[in-house]
Amino acid sequence: MIDWLTNNAGMSGLLFFFIVFLCIAGWSYRPGAKENMESHKYIPLEGDEQ
Amino acid sequence: MNTLNEKPIYNDEIVKLFTIATVFWGIVGFAVGLFIALQMAFPSLNIGEYLTFGRLRPLHTSAVIFAFGGNALFATSYFSVQRTCRARLWGDGWAKFTFWGYQFFIVLAAIGYVTGITQAKEYAEPEWYADLWLTFVWVAYLIVFLMTLKDRREPHIYVGNWFFLAFIVTVAVLHLANNVSIPVSFLGAKSYPAWGGVQSAMIQWWYGHNAVGFFLTAGFLGIMYYFVPKRTGRPVYSYRLSILHFWSLIFIYIWAGPHHLHYTALPDWAQTLGATFSIMLWMPSWGGMINGMMTLSGAWHKLREDPVLRFMIISLAFYGMSTFEGPLMSIKTVNALSHYTDWTIGHVHSGALGWVAFISFGAIYHLVPVLWKRDGLYSMKLVNMHLWIATLGIVLYITAMWVSGIMQGLMWRSYDSMGFLEYSFVETVMAMHPFYVIRALGGSLFLIGALIMAYNLYRTVRGDKAPEATQVGETAHA
Repeated sequence: MIDWLTNNAGMSGLLFFFIVFLCIAGWSYRPGAKENMESHKYIPLEGDEQ
Repeated sequence: MNTLNEKPIYNDEIVKLFTIATVFWGIVGFAVGLFIALQMAFPSLNIGEYLTFGRLRPLHTSAVIFAFGGNALFATSYFSVQRTCRARLWGDGWAKFTFWGYQFFIVLAAIGYVTGITQAKEYAEPEWYADLWLTFVWVAYLIVFLMTLKDRREPHIYVGNWFFLAFIVTVAVLHLANNVSIPVSFLGAKSYPAWGGVQSAMIQWWYGHNAVGFFLTAGFLGIMYYFVPKRTGRPVYSYRLSILHFWSLIFIYIWAGPHHLHYTALPDWAQTLGATFSIMLWMPSWGGMINGMMTLSGAWHKLREDPVLRFMIISLAFYGMSTFEGPLMSIKTVNALSHYTDWTIGHVHSGALGWVAFISFGAIYHLVPVLWKRDGLYSMKLVNMHLWIATLGIVLYITAMWVSGIMQGLMWRSYDSMGFLEYSFVETVMAMHPFYVIRALGGSLFLIGALIMAYNLYRTVRGDKAPEATQVGETAHA
């Protein structure tokens, strides 16, 4: 397993990171999550700055 | 137990210190930049051993990037993490240590530069003892930031804090990897790097480019994601886009460094990899820029009323421009013309002056009245004056360097019919002289703008109010 990963580090690393990124993108744009996700953008506007 | 509605007592004393340091080091860094620009135009200004271009150039770059930019990042991250977490900054003593420790590092590095102590790595010139000290300070910064996030009363960690955290963590990793060196003696300043040859070059530009990517981009995007919505009074255009922006920037930026080593001993595949990832960076960069600009959607009139907001939006325009130009210059055929020429200097300054400095100025103008509990700035007219003088300065600077750089590159590659070089090196230097003078003029305008800002902020802190009809922008944020 380790030998295989060592020999194919470039391709397996590329695939791993690309899949992780796709999962993040899919998670943030999943249907039905828009309202909850977008509600976080009001955080800086809530509360007094002083 | 504290609730979300209870108001914490924020630690603003530390933010005040970093804000003052930002303005101070900014003016020092811009002034040294102007002086070395004049040295390029008029070499007789290279006076004595300590004030030569070779020693002052790292003093300028470190002063503007690490002293001005670094202090701005400390100030804004400490300010916004408290507000977005609704929690006081963790560890008053630790935070104070980061301030004095960081200033000590700056002075330590600066003394080294003028006395000729350097490890000759661009943007990583300080020798081992200063690097070691910075590591302690940076770890303290990370602890303060993480513990504040841990103490938060807001359940969600706001995206601006993701950018700040990515900046802190990645800069630590870059700093440690690039500065592995062995001191010649315990009491001596000289050390030798652990890396050698092309590996050393690769690690240096992995560090160098990600200093741009994570220090000068991710950190300042953290500023953008807090201060632009705050100043406009509107939330960021799309929170989901900001998540995509963050992760795509983080995943892609780290691979782009090899484009600094085109046509060198670095393997060709690594050069192509660097160029490919640089081109891919277009998308997250422009996604972020659009997200920032579109925050004004439906409220564009605020740009007309508020010069502080204008600073922020112009900074985003420069961010967009320089992140378009960077990938373009990473294409190998374009790089064959641009590399080692003044075009690179112009590109760097459109990002550094237009993006980094302008978003910092905007944040500082917003911060100072809040920190010192004033109704508004002393004079919005002076903010506007600063904006246009500095913008004119940047435009003069970058256009002069574009023309000079492309001319320089073309002159270097010109051959006559016999196959000999058309121009000697000194002829290219002579041809660039007028553009060096224009660059110095642009730099002097930028410095004048910063001095106007310092005066305006001083009067603001004193609690003065200019007796002028400049209250339009003030009322927008009263």
